Amino acid sequence: MKTIIVLLIFCLAFLVTAAGQEKYSTKTGEITFEASVPSFEEVKAKNTNVSAVLDADTGKFAALALMKGFRFKVALMEEHFNENYIESSKYPKATFKGTIQDFDASKASEKREYLINGIFNLHGVDKKMDVPAVISVNDGVVTLTAQFVLKPEGFNIKIPSIVSNKIAENVNVSVTFQLQK
Amino acid sequence: MSKHRKILILIILLSVGYFGYNYIYQDHRDIKSETSQLEITASYLLERFKTNDGNALLNQTISVTGVITNLEDGAITLDESVYATFDENIPQLTTNEKIMIKGRCIGYDELFEIVKLDQCSLIK
Repeated sequence: MKTIIVLLIFCLAFLVTAAGQEKYSTKTGEITFEASVPSFEEVKAKNTNVSAVLDADTGKFAALALMKGFRFKVALMEEHFNENYIESSKYPKATFKGTIQDFDASKASEKREYLINGIFNLHGVDKKMDVPAVISVNDGVVTLTAQFVLKPEGFNIKIPSIVSNKIAENVNVSVTFQLQK
Repeated sequence: MSKHRKILILIILLSVGYFGYNYIYQDHRDIKSETSQLEITASYLLERFKTNDGNALLNQTISVTGVITNLEDGAITLDESVYATFDENIPQLTTNEKIMIKGRCIGYDELFEIVKLDQCSLIK
């Protein structure tokens, strides 16, 4: 009797840990955005310190980028981005919280496109978005990449008219996450 | 007279160009050579951000002390409270070692409940 109970507890403990193991995460995800206009200075920045968590059981996905972590080639551009446009002291982070549609971790080994619907928070503004993402699983590493377009005006980011012809209206964003257990 | 004026105008144009160029293409901050504004333990730094008292530290160069709880490629975790990334190669370190680092505080990551620093260098 005792052995059965002990065995049961072991099985239960195993089940619990197995269920809890379906979380994948990273602290070194990459986000690059570009708003360059041809024949003007390149407007491009990269953040290699983005956090993300994926719950493979439910398909819930969350990402967080610290705005101060975006690095530009031109130091002055980085300063203007932080102080005038994104106001990173007031709004230090951008987040995305959503659910991957029809996500099945057990069948996710092959590369496939999914739709993540969720809410973007940038510059203090919430916005509902459907983001197409390509997800594949290799050796326990979930790779998630996505490309999408954001409009600064949609997030209440004002670009002064004096520079507006040097910054594209559509900002191309590309993200790469290598999520591990 | 007119020759002098031409030379003067040329000098003014050149200096405007020179200073203008230097202003637009100024160098990035060199965190490693900056003096740190604050010396703090990793766990207390996390506590400050959790109690919403950390925003003044954003973008500041600070020194953080703590015990290494995790080592990965290009990054160190101190006391499970601070995640510090290095641009340079990390010197030979082991977990449970007590160290002090200097870096730029970029903010609080609520997903992992951790404070992030970038462009770090090892002090001791």
